[in-house]
Amino acid sequence: MAEKGSIYEALKRKGVSRREFLQFCSLMAATLALPAGFGPKIAEALEKAQRPSLVWLEFQDCCGNTESFLRADRPTVVDIVLDLLSVDYHETIMAPAGKQAEKSLDDVVKNQKGKYLCVVEGAIPLKDDGVYCCVGGKSARDIAKEVCGNALATIAVGACAWDGGIPGANPNPTGAVGVKDAVKGITLINLPGCPMNVVNLTGTVVHYLTFGSLPLTDSMGRPLFAYRDRIHDFCERRAHYDAGRYVREWGDEGHQKGWCLYHMGCKGPETYKNCPAQRWNDRTSWPVRAGHNCIGCAAPRFWDTMTPFYRTLEAVPGFGVETTADKIGAGVLIATGAGIAIHSVARAGVKKYRKEHHIPEIETKEKEE
Amino acid sequence: MPKIAIDPITRIEGHLRIEAQVDGGKVQDAWASGTMFRGIELILKNRDPRDAWAFAQRI
Repeated sequence: MAEKGSIYEALKRKGVSRREFLQFCSLMAATLALPAGFGPKIAEALEKAQRPSLVWLEFQDCCGNTESFLRADRPTVVDIVLDLLSVDYHETIMAPAGKQAEKSLDDVVKNQKGKYLCVVEGAIPLKDDGVYCCVGGKSARDIAKEVCGNALATIAVGACAWDGGIPGANPNPTGAVGVKDAVKGITLINLPGCPMNVVNLTGTVVHYLTFGSLPLTDSMGRPLFAYRDRIHDFCERRAHYDAGRYVREWGDEGHQKGWCLYHMGCKGPETYKNCPAQRWNDRTSWPVRAGHNCIGCAAPRFWDTMTPFYRTLEAVPGFGVETTADKIGAGVLIATGAGIAIHSVARAGVKKYRKEHHIPEIETKEKEE
Repeated sequence: MPKIAIDPITRIEGHLRIEAQVDGGKVQDAWASGTMFRGIELILKNRDPRDAWAFAQRI
C-alpha cells in the first residue's frame, strides 16, 4: 500500500520540516524517559531506519484504540505514525473490503514473515470455539495465532487485548481473554489503558527502530517507560490531597477550584500510567485535569477491580489531613530514601538491559557541533 | 443464482458480513450479520448504575 523507504525521507515528502522532525525525536526521548541527549540519537536512527510493515487486527473491540491512534498529534498522524509505519492492514481505515482486504493481510503474513509488526486491539473470545468474533469466516483466535505467530513482534493495545478488558469482565459471557492468554510463545508487549495513549505506541515503535529491541517491561508485560509511575504521585492535584483539600460533591466549591478527587472515587493511587505527563488530545488535558476521577483503566481487570468507579479507595498510604508538619517532614525523608533506592535498582536494570541488547551507554552531554 | 459474500466490510467500526443473492446484475435478496458479540448487557447487570456510562461508551 504505502511506499517503502527511510522514515525521514517519507516525512520530508509529506512536508515535515527538519525542525519538526527533531522536535518529534526529542519528544520521543522524553516519552521513553531517556536523557535529553538521546533526541539526536533517535533522529540518527530514524533517518536510516526502513519503515516496518504493520498490520492492525481488531477483535472484540470498540475501536477506541484506533480513535486514539488517529489522534496522534505532532506531527500529525498522516505525517508521522502512518509514515513511521507502513500500515498494510487496518479494517477501519483501509480501502479494500472482503477478499481484497484479506489478501492485503495474507500478503504481509506470507511475504514478510518474521519482519512485520502486529497490533492487536480487542479481546479474543475462546468460548464455544471462538464463535463470538469472526472475520472473513475465521475465528479471532485462529487469525491471532497465524498473524501474531508469524510477526516480528505483537503490540497488544488497550485493556481488552491485554487481559480481556470489558468483554472479559464478570461474568465474561464469551470467554474473552487477552492476547497473552490466547496465543502462547510470541514476542508480545502490552499497552493497556482504555484506550492506550498513542504516544506510548509511537514510543514503543521508535524504541524498536532506534535500538532494535522492544522497551524493557514490568512483570505484566507493560513497558516501564509508560507504566512505572503511579498516577497519584505525578498528579497535578496531588498538593490538594496532601493538604486535605477534597472535592466532596460534584460542582461544590472544591470541584470548582480543582481540588483532589480522592473522595469522589479517584483510582489514581492504585494505577500506574504516564497520563499526568503525556495527557490526551494534543496533550491538552486528561481526565483528572478535566475534573473527573481516574477510573484506573490501566490496572489489571479494571472493569471488575476498579468498579464502582465512584467508590472511595480505602486506606491509601500518604499524608492524612490531621498529620502534623513534623510527621510530613519525616514522611518526605523516608519517601526520598525509598525513591533513591528504587531509582538505583531501576538504573541497574537498565544497565543490564543495555548490555544484553548491545545498546551503547547514554552520553549525558550533548555533542558540540 | 450466484451468491456473493463481502466479509469483512471495512471502513466501519465493528465486524460486519454482507451476503447478497444476485440475478442478472440485480440484488434479489441480501443478509447482514454482525460477526462479533460481547454481551455488554449481561456484563452490566448488577453493577452500580453510575458506572453504566463507561460501559455504554465502549459499545
